[in-house]
Amino acid sequence: MSEMANTDPEGIDGVRMSWNSWPRTKVEASKCVIPLAACISPIRHHPDIQTLPYAPLRCKTCASPLNCFARVDFTAKIWICPFCFQRNHFPPHYGMISETNLPAELYPQFTTVQYTLPNPSINPQMGVDPNVPTALSPSPVFVFVLDTCMIEEEFDYVRSAMKRAIGLLPENALVGFVSFGTQAHVHELGFSDMSKVFVFRGTKEITKDQVMEQLGLTVPGRRGPGTSAAAAYQHKGMMPNGFPGSGVTRFLLPASDCEFTLNSLLDELQTDQWPVQPGTRASRCTGVALSVAAGLLGACLPGTGARIIALVGGPCTEGPGTIISKDLSDPVRSHKDLDKDAAPYFKKAVKFYDGLAKQLVSQGHVLDVFASALDQVGVAEMKVAVERTGGLAVLAESFGHSVFKDSFKRVFEDGEHSLGLCFNGTLEVNCSKDIKIQGIIGPCTSMEKKGPNVADTVIGEGNTSAWKMCGLDKSTCLTVFFDLSSSDRSNTPGTVNPQLYLQFLTSYQTPEGQTLLRVTTVTRRWVDSTVSSEELVQGFDQETAAVVMGRLASLKMEIEEGFDATRWLDRNLIRLCSKFGDYRKDDPSSFTLNPCFSLFPQFVFNLRRSQFVQVFNNSPDETAYFRMLLNKENITNAAVMLQPSLISYSFNSLPQPALLDVASIGADRILLLDSYFSVVIFHGMTIAQWRNMGYQNQAEHQAFAQLLQAPQDDAQMIIRERFPVPRLVVCDQHGSQARFLLAKLNPSATYNNAHEMAAGSDVIFTDDVSLQVFFEHLQRLAVQS
Amino acid sequence: MAAPVPPGAPRQQPPTGPPPNFQQNPNALADNFQNMNLNRPPSSNTRPPPFGQPPPFSSSSPASPMTRPGPFPSGATLRPASGSPSPTLPPNMAPGRPSGPPFGQPPPFGARPPPPGAFPSSMPPSAGSPPYGAPPPVTRPSPVASSSPVNMGPSGAPSGFMSNGPPAPAFQAGQRFAPPGSSQHQPPMGAPPAMGPPARGPPQAGAMRPFMGSPGAGASQVLPPSGMGQAAPAFGGPPQAMLGSVASPYAPQMPSQPGVPPMPGSMPPPRMYGMPPPMQNQMTAISPVIGQTGGTQPGASKIDPNQIPRPIPSSSVILHDTRQGNQANPPPPATSDYIVRDTGNCSPRYMRCTINQIPCTADLLTTSGMQLALLVQPLALPHPSEEPIQIVDFGEGGPVRCSRCKGYINPFMKFIDQGRRFICNLCGFTDETPRDYHCNLGPDGRRRDADERPELCRGTVEFVATKEYMVREPMPAVYFFLIDVSMNAVQTGATAAACSSINQVIGDLPEGPRTMVGIATFDSTIHFYNLKRALQQPLMLIVPDVQDVYTPLQTDVIVSVSECRQHLELLLESIPTMFENTRTSESAFGAAIKAAFLAMKSTGGKLMVFQSVLPSIGLGALAAREAEGRSNVSAGDKEAHKLLQPADKTLKDMAVEFAEYQVCVDVFITTKTYVDIASISVIPKVTGGQVYYYHPFSVVSDSVKLCNDLRWNVSRPQGFEAVMRVRCSQGIQVQEYHGNFCKRIPTDVDLPGIDCDKAIMVTLKHDDKLQDGAECAFQCALLYTTVYGERRIRVTTLSLPCTSNLSNLFRMADLDTQFVCFLKQAAREVPITPPLHVREQVTNFCINILLSYRKFCATVSSSGQLILPEALKLLPLYTLALIKSAGLRIEGKIDDRSFWINYVSSASTPSAIPLVYPRMIAVHDLDTQDGNGSIVPAPLPLSSEHVNDEGIYLLENGQDCLIYAGNSVNPDIMQQLLGVPSADQGGAEFTLQQYDNPLSKKLNEVVNEIRRQRCSFLRLRLCRKGDQSGMAFFSYLIEDKVPTGGLSYVEFLVHIHRQIQMKMSS
Repeated sequence: MSEMANTDPEGIDGVRMSWNSWPRTKVEASKCVIPLAACISPIRHHPDIQTLPYAPLRCKTCASPLNCFARVDFTAKIWICPFCFQRNHFPPHYGMISETNLPAELYPQFTTVQYTLPNPSINPQMGVDPNVPTALSPSPVFVFVLDTCMIEEEFDYVRSAMKRAIGLLPENALVGFVSFGTQAHVHELGFSDMSKVFVFRGTKEITKDQVMEQLGLTVPGRRGPGTSAAAAYQHKGMMPNGFPGSGVTRFLLPASDCEFTLNSLLDELQTDQWPVQPGTRASRCTGVALSVAAGLLGACLPGTGARIIALVGGPCTEGPGTIISKDLSDPVRSHKDLDKDAAPYFKKAVKFYDGLAKQLVSQGHVLDVFASALDQVGVAEMKVAVERTGGLAVLAESFGHSVFKDSFKRVFEDGEHSLGLCFNGTLEVNCSKDIKIQGIIGPCTSMEKKGPNVADTVIGEGNTSAWKMCGLDKSTCLTVFFDLSSSDRSNTPGTVNPQLYLQFLTSYQTPEGQTLLRVTTVTRRWVDSTVSSEELVQGFDQETAAVVMGRLASLKMEIEEGFDATRWLDRNLIRLCSKFGDYRKDDPSSFTLNPCFSLFPQFVFNLRRSQFVQVFNNSPDETAYFRMLLNKENITNAAVMLQPSLISYSFNSLPQPALLDVASIGADRILLLDSYFSVVIFHGMTIAQWRNMGYQNQAEHQAFAQLLQAPQDDAQMIIRERFPVPRLVVCDQHGSQARFLLAKLNPSATYNNAHEMAAGSDVIFTDDVSLQVFFEHLQRLAVQS
Repeated sequence: MAAPVPPGAPRQQPPTGPPPNFQQNPNALADNFQNMNLNRPPSSNTRPPPFGQPPPFSSSSPASPMTRPGPFPSGATLRPASGSPSPTLPPNMAPGRPSGPPFGQPPPFGARPPPPGAFPSSMPPSAGSPPYGAPPPVTRPSPVASSSPVNMGPSGAPSGFMSNGPPAPAFQAGQRFAPPGSSQHQPPMGAPPAMGPPARGPPQAGAMRPFMGSPGAGASQVLPPSGMGQAAPAFGGPPQAMLGSVASPYAPQMPSQPGVPPMPGSMPPPRMYGMPPPMQNQMTAISPVIGQTGGTQPGASKIDPNQIPRPIPSSSVILHDTRQGNQANPPPPATSDYIVRDTGNCSPRYMRCTINQIPCTADLLTTSGMQLALLVQPLALPHPSEEPIQIVDFGEGGPVRCSRCKGYINPFMKFIDQGRRFICNLCGFTDETPRDYHCNLGPDGRRRDADERPELCRGTVEFVATKEYMVREPMPAVYFFLIDVSMNAVQTGATAAACSSINQVIGDLPEGPRTMVGIATFDSTIHFYNLKRALQQPLMLIVPDVQDVYTPLQTDVIVSVSECRQHLELLLESIPTMFENTRTSESAFGAAIKAAFLAMKSTGGKLMVFQSVLPSIGLGALAAREAEGRSNVSAGDKEAHKLLQPADKTLKDMAVEFAEYQVCVDVFITTKTYVDIASISVIPKVTGGQVYYYHPFSVVSDSVKLCNDLRWNVSRPQGFEAVMRVRCSQGIQVQEYHGNFCKRIPTDVDLPGIDCDKAIMVTLKHDDKLQDGAECAFQCALLYTTVYGERRIRVTTLSLPCTSNLSNLFRMADLDTQFVCFLKQAAREVPITPPLHVREQVTNFCINILLSYRKFCATVSSSGQLILPEALKLLPLYTLALIKSAGLRIEGKIDDRSFWINYVSSASTPSAIPLVYPRMIAVHDLDTQDGNGSIVPAPLPLSSEHVNDEGIYLLENGQDCLIYAGNSVNPDIMQQLLGVPSADQGGAEFTLQQYDNPLSKKLNEVVNEIRRQRCSFLRLRLCRKGDQSGMAFFSYLIEDKVPTGGLSYVEFLVHIHRQIQMKMSS
């Protein structure tokens, strides 16, 4: 981590912006082509962040906390809020304040500080009763939702994965268990006489109230030890004292109490016993199972951080959320079907998960989906629920595959590699006047908190200045889109503050049950681009801009019908080049680009070729999965998704970055490609032959062994850091698996120009244009008048 | 739980007998009951079948007059009903009757007590065996001497007739009349004559008649006489006249009858007892009906209540051949103990007709006022001594059938043309004989192989069904138990009782790999149990959605008993404790049965539900209508009967669906409150099931009954996925079927389950004239699957002669069947008609028959008397009993009435009669009573006169058994019998125990014998004078006058007579 910090472009704040200098006016901003956006990692770990054991001091008009950009009058004990310019008196306990005795939040280097909040209620507006004393429910809650429609082998894998996970849970973690197939089974873990499950029919949509009623969680004294008073409280959606509502003790038990029960239950658990006709899919009621799990949590622990961990082995074919008919001759929808509106189940299922997402968000619970199947399971439909609740998604081919196994394990792991899963987060954004918030792309939900700084146009989760993140982790990254107010700026420049301020307030609950509030205040310069664009150009962050464009394109592809992402990207790129390039009109050869922009076209080139834009190579599930990660990962990782990194290993040199080009392939090289979702180790032909002959095992060829080992080690390092765990592909030149590499390379050498290439290099059989061709066209179009 | 079931009982069973099935071991049934019998020594394997000897209705009603009669003055007071034969017989016999045979028999009788047991061994097909040795030989060879030992009287056919009609008795009557009657008849007498003549009865001079005629006045006058016999005078008819009348119809027939043989003495029906027959006896002392001696003795009018017609039990077994001399042989009374030899017609157990001759025209039938209907009980329990039903396998071709009407081959199909063709006796079509079924005819026109082929010589055969008769593989025997575990059920102990009963009964289920069992419990949710789990305990699967239910598993909810026996037992043991502290008071009955049904849908089977409270939640939930009903009572009774109708259609629709998938539902209601049986019972009714009702439920006394009921339920002969159709000869057609079944197409009834206790009434109608002298055939075909998964067709054929003679109809009327039909129809009416109307209908029915008889069959001179056809002489008594029965009682509990209605709808004749007309016996002097061979002593008339304060009485109707102890019973006797010095200490929850004294042993023997006869364990209750229980007891004494307006028996006779007279004269 510390190593990262050195090269960390995000610094203490975890904020990166597409433009680090902002044009003054809306018109100018629109001329900049790339939108004004800030990518923030709200709870990213940073060693320098101070955690203050008190509550923040807030401005009395705009409620933004005191920060280092506030002007402080030490004698008058007054501070001026940088956002609204309100003068605030320090309260008595700040009486000691002086120029030499500053509270941490006023230290200029601490633009980001963290406050510990007293636990009661972070956000009353969430529908969570403010009286819920969260301090009493510090234990994380996990409800496992396990698919039972799968072959025995897969089922064994997933069972053992679950058992291991349960073993890793902290003792006080509350665990619930739902299994499903044709029907959804809620296991009453607290029933000691025998294994007891509540069975919900798979075909019928079930409301939260019905779940509560049918699980006996509403009526006083129905069953179990709950007193009628407790039940009555529950009925109103609150609990007398955190828990135990009777439901908690019946269905959710501390891991230490139920580990044995669960393990034996898992041992006994069979795959779904309902017969599957030949030629049909197993009937699987994923939708009902999830809504039952949500209902259970809603009844037992509303407002308390909890995760629903769904382990899904196939598509939902039964009841709400169905994505495909049971008839096997009916293939699961493809992008083409979606495009042609030929996926009859899609919209309904999305609507269902949208409703589920709303419910989960209102309860403050997270949905994680671990899908392992060769065919699609409906992640595309579930995406909305996962993303809005800030859940995790992992897509693998098999529960036995390391992509699933290792990822799943990491969810429960503690320590350095823990994901730092936190709950019940909210993000609020304060910004200087004239700045409007359009929305956020990323794993969160709009809380519909309107205000003067909310823009009319919406991107992603908008119409608000506050967002809910039921689940968030260290790597969570949100992209906030800003706009400038269109009001004509009649005021003279002199009176205007040359700095703009943005403040991000993130409150969240740690797994340990602490509630923290992180306040990040950043400032940037306004520049008048009509005068000079130099400053503007210097403030351009290519990587961020590329990622932002990628995210925006993905979003548009999802929500805008007939949206042509390639053309949109091309057009924007051309506009950008036209505006910021140096050239003579209509003379392509004269075209040059400032170094601050020079990488951007290549990013766009790769973005155009990536799975985010060229979706037809993937299933809708994969696309959804990729996009979820694209939206959620930090800029560095997201940039890798757009433009993989390639490292070359050879005898003669240290490992060095190589061009993402087919020309980088060499018979005597090993290449390591990191495209985020997969890590490819590619052995050149010669290397592969040597390896096959076993030279690496001979003492005199230690160097070769080391050469072979180096990329493996690096790959492992990448894999270890990453969640979800990427797929590791080890392949040889001309091997079938080599396609994982070739697909990502710039096809500078194709069968069209193969004759020009040197021997030993490789050729990609494609009609795609190469980067060079792309650039030629770009230059031509950019200079066109 | 305190399982009151003696631990020993169930264990004993396995050794004693294999699970019962139809033919192989009829005794097994008896064995079952033995096991029920707590106090019985387990030794007696040989006990006769349950139905061995139904007591109340003696085997032959005709016998009654004989036994009571008068030669012995004492006869009046106590009737030595089955007293020693020798003394009784002579009196009965008309002078000149051959008395030889009767005397010959006494010895066998003496030996009787054991005989039932002995039967199986000793007389297979009624070969001359020791005990019975005498009768059979006698019967066959000499028709005259005829038949059964008991009915000596009737046996001598000629003499029998004589007794009815002949002048001789009449004279006797006359002579005898004077003495008894003289004592007190004057008061009423005096008046009537005066009023009478002017008012009415122009033609008739009988002093009495006028009396009867004037309704209003008459009544008032009649009643005053007071005393028990008050009404007596009403029956004015001079005895002589009656005799005359009787005689007349009869005499003419005599000749017409093909000699003696067809009318073997054993037949009660042949004898026509109108009033007259009794008369014959009365003459001497009895003469109930004819209060007034009419002309002869104006003063002697008082009816002796002891003399009015009552069923007289017979303790002897009747041997019955279904056909003799190629003529249908009228069957013995349904309630008697008889052994059938199938000689062409089916045994009357399987099918009997209300009239044993078929009226040729619809008009004739209408005139008679009687019903024409069949009571079909296709799987009825045979007598252990009867030959088993033969199974015929026609191989792949299946049974030979008429190609037009699809009637099955039977002994009445006539082969012609050297056997190449045959004429269907049902539709008259001429069919080709299948080649491989061809056989030449003998000189008598019968096929030469007729006697070797059961289907050509037996009225009942069972065909092995071929693939053609199956829409799927025959289903396995599936038993699903559904137990109420709501708070109430658990707290009253009903849950525990149900679980322990099931646990004990699992061993009685048919053995084999195809026997499957499932268990579920329910309260506000439904809990299934997955029993097929290799490890650990069963898995409990809860279906919480009780509005829209489903089954939680496709398989494994129902498992093979043999594989999962241990799991089942474990589960059943743990259920009561598991729900010990439940606080769920709701009960989702409807949803639960629906869910269970869904689990069984693929196979069908029996669903047994143990329900304890009003279904209050979920699908088919019911409201406590009774409470509403009560509050509405003030508004009048007009709507009260609506409570006897199902609340809504939900359950009915469900039931129809169940039936479609061959699920038969039995409901065991163990409750202390109202549960709306009217609504619940729809399900068993439509699915061929049964309702058991334990109210008020008591763990102590009802657990054992529950267990035994359940055991009988699963172990009695039964079939699944059955379809039944009755075909009739041309001219008659089936009008309607009544019973517990589902009907989807008009001609067939679907029976998801059918068992030996279920009867179906089939009403018939004419669609054409029949030929006098021809035979009319009825064929009932039941296609079903046995518990062992064999598909069978049981075909029972009954061929009866047709007649155009009205008096034949009366002569051949079958009282029990007639009455039961009538009872069933009344039961159907009760929920849709106000009770008073039903009573009126019932009374009118009785009146109409008697009126018709009176009008067309009695002589003119007898018009002043109430004349009863001999065969139907008990009709008024039964009618009265019906009017006073639980179902028609307005003040009764709604549930009690609903249960009654439901019970009646499927009851067989032998069990329906006692329900209405129970049997009462004295038990305080059991040790001194002379049982006369039968274990159960002679019943007492159902009149409080016969109940005295020093006595202890037992009254049973096949369901309940009340033990009533008077106020001044000798405490010693109390102590001996009941283990308490006085009834006050008996406690409401009462169980019969065997104490170490002869009296108690005897009582236990008696009770066990009754249980065996009734195939029912009986709910024992102890009643005390003066409280609720005492009232309940007295409400069964139907001969009594009820303060709320119910007439006494005598009054009722008067009433009927008056009505008849009114109609006659109008």
